[in-house]
Amino acid sequence: MGIALADIGLAALFLAFAAAIYAVIVSILAAQKHSDAMTISARNAALASFPLMIVSVGALWIALLTEQYQINYVRSTTDPLTPTFYRVTALWGSQEGSLLFWSLIMAGFVAAALVINWKRERRLMPYVIAYSMATLAFFLGLSLIYENPFERVWLVNNPEQGTTEVVDTLLIPPDARPPDADRLQANARGLNPLLRHFGMIIHPPMLYLGFVGFTIPFAFAMAALASGDLSANWIKATRRWTLVAWLFLSLGLILGGRWAYDVLGWGGYWGWDPVENAAFLPWLIGTAFLHSVMIQEKRGMLKVWNMVLIIFTFSAVMFGTFATRSGLIESVHSFARSEIGLPMFVFWSGITLVSVVMLIWRWSQGRLREEHHNTRLLSRESMFVLNNVIFVLLALAIFWGSFGAPILSELLADTEITLGTAYFMQVTPPLFLAMYILMGVAPVTAWGATHVARLGRALLIPAIGVIALLAFLIITGTTQPAALIGYSAVSLAGFVAVYEIFRGTTARMRARNESALQAAIALFTRSRRRYGGYIVHLGITLIGIGVIGSTVFQEQRERTLDIGEVMPVAYGYEMRFDGYASGLFADDGRVMDIAEVTVIRAGRELGTLRPRIDRFPDGMNMTIAGARSTLENDFYVLLWPTGDTTGITFRVYVNPLVNLIWWGGLVLIAGTMISAWPNEAAAVRVRERAAIGAQMRATS
Amino acid sequence: MAQAAWEKPIAAGANSAADKAREALMSRAGRGAIRRKFLLAGGLILGVVAALIITGTLTGAQYFMTVDALLADPTLVGQSVRISGAVIGETIRVASINPDGEEITTITFTIAHIPDQFASLEQALHDAVYNPDATRLDVYYEGPRPDLLQNEAQAIMTGTLGEDGVFYASELLLKCPSRFQEGGSDPELGQTSAGGL
Repeated sequence: MGIALADIGLAALFLAFAAAIYAVIVSILAAQKHSDAMTISARNAALASFPLMIVSVGALWIALLTEQYQINYVRSTTDPLTPTFYRVTALWGSQEGSLLFWSLIMAGFVAAALVINWKRERRLMPYVIAYSMATLAFFLGLSLIYENPFERVWLVNNPEQGTTEVVDTLLIPPDARPPDADRLQANARGLNPLLRHFGMIIHPPMLYLGFVGFTIPFAFAMAALASGDLSANWIKATRRWTLVAWLFLSLGLILGGRWAYDVLGWGGYWGWDPVENAAFLPWLIGTAFLHSVMIQEKRGMLKVWNMVLIIFTFSAVMFGTFATRSGLIESVHSFARSEIGLPMFVFWSGITLVSVVMLIWRWSQGRLREEHHNTRLLSRESMFVLNNVIFVLLALAIFWGSFGAPILSELLADTEITLGTAYFMQVTPPLFLAMYILMGVAPVTAWGATHVARLGRALLIPAIGVIALLAFLIITGTTQPAALIGYSAVSLAGFVAVYEIFRGTTARMRARNESALQAAIALFTRSRRRYGGYIVHLGITLIGIGVIGSTVFQEQRERTLDIGEVMPVAYGYEMRFDGYASGLFADDGRVMDIAEVTVIRAGRELGTLRPRIDRFPDGMNMTIAGARSTLENDFYVLLWPTGDTTGITFRVYVNPLVNLIWWGGLVLIAGTMISAWPNEAAAVRVRERAAIGAQMRATS
Repeated sequence: MAQAAWEKPIAAGANSAADKAREALMSRAGRGAIRRKFLLAGGLILGVVAALIITGTLTGAQYFMTVDALLADPTLVGQSVRISGAVIGETIRVASINPDGEEITTITFTIAHIPDQFASLEQALHDAVYNPDATRLDVYYEGPRPDLLQNEAQAIMTGTLGEDGVFYASELLLKCPSRFQEGGSDPELGQTSAGGL
């Protein structure tokens, strides 16, 4: 069974690779020869890679679930004590499986994009297939050659020396037999305990979906450059793909933060770790792209810039994957050092270089001329450009801090210089502040041109909201300048979003005599993109408030307590130590030490928390916080392993407003879904337009 | 006024006639002036961000080095550096001090020098710990005992070397390569169960 599964998985992986290579070659030929039949053949091969990958990943999944320990990947990520749940997630628990899973997602995305856009964007198709399949073929090649999850262990007799050798191979060697089943079981290592968390179940797939999703707009952009169809078609075709990729990437980042907060036991959710930053870079550039494509659609401007943004979003995805998976950087959650570093580096630099050269080529032909010119500093266009500049500068600053400085210093000065949290906390806040101010100002700025007086009037009511909030904060005792400045900028963005929705609704109510609910529903269905965007802005506002609150006002206490003792904490909280049990066994083999504490505020007992330490059989420990969450703050207590002191030591954090980050994430999902939801009316318009276009082509 | 502005989504080209007229009206000199304004504004922003990045780099820079390199250069005493070394398990001591009512956990341990280049991190860590000639350095850290602080772990630390020759770590990151090792299967698999170990 195990043998058959590994063979099936390997064969399907190989066939998917062959199909991808075939699709690349035939689609390039199809583009050269303008052959429709060849394009269709390339498409079919591209589509076939998806079911093949389902078979390949399915085989590995079944092997994990049915405990085929002869497969090395299964043995290194699960053991007989692993619960079914984590057998499922073990698929992305280590390098080989997660690469395979990544390829499956990419094959799925490409197949969907080909099917959906096949009729409308026929001219771009050969190039879209070539670019997306080249990327897929590269990742499948990595899986086949360097990180194959189907490698198995065999025992081979060596008759000359009369010994038995342990051999790891993909294909069954002659005269081989599998090792004893109980030996294999005893040798299984189990999933890294840090990955046993609900956030880890969905965080990696979300992040992969986000990363991989950007392949589609990138492939279309490159197809536009290669085919010479440099209208806004590629943008229109991929707008939703970009939004979907962006949504998944955002979710991946937020869930990653949640995982860190729950599992890593340091009271925080973002540590400016290079791997986190690597995932944040494509988000920043992708967000800039998401905004600036609107300018091209509406005004025919920023054509080159949009190409630059999508090229570098994709490049950042590839770089992040390379940096995380190659062992380039020291980080808590980078994959082990691996041989795939060099091929990944070559692919990343190669594809970036080719894209940039293609862009320069079309640019020098004068094919990317602006249809309008920006004539005023104070206009919606300028605000969007400024917003783009801020996002790109943030990305550059973070790239420099996480990778630029360490790599450059190692190359030039033979010593590695790293920039710690201090760097990021100094450089990024002013840029984030500018981002929030623009989020407030840009939506009320008119296209073309506006005047200061007009802008001032449009901002009047939101500004009154900000001032009222500031007055409230100061009266209730918030005096830290950093917090007040931060809250002003962040809340301006939020107030503008709410006010714009309110204004749109009331205007409809007056003009069409609708009820508030009718008007609001109509508003959101008619201009999904715009009002969905405001909801996303609201989500980002909530996240901003949560980040400022939990960064500036976090309180932390540490103390050793005896049973019955009460410890004062902060914000009126007290904590009583009620009991302690150590050496409790769980089903999966871990041993738990659990403390029980009561959270007290203003004399009232609010609840019982059980912070614990899980000790896993392989010697790894995990500190699991006990947390009591309210919208106001989190009471977050950790059992502190201090070794040889008597009594039990606790570390307690009070994290004000931290839950707004997670709630903001939910609002962001809702807003993005509103923006990306297929619009029936728009679809009809597009179909009509396509039909007219086809007629015109036929007659010309 | 406010009402007039709410319905902003304009179709491409809806007011392009007006735009074209306005753009046509602008003289070349006028466009040059606009361009200068944009360049000035852009330059200003770039300047501010460049200054931010440079000062941030200067204040946040930490040199990443080996134990030998740190001890070889006396000018580095008191400077913020990042070092890596192999944790010697038997030297780990955890204590609690109580200077002014606030309890603080202190950890001391010794690390051994790991060379710059090595084939396997796990082997390099093992060799460093059991090599009596490897340079050793005492480390002092205030904070919780990290889960991975154990023999043959790689400690990656930020901090300063004191005049007393002790490394005062402000950040402590640990890696245990053996946990996530990739590589060949255990030779033990070759034995039969009956043979046992």
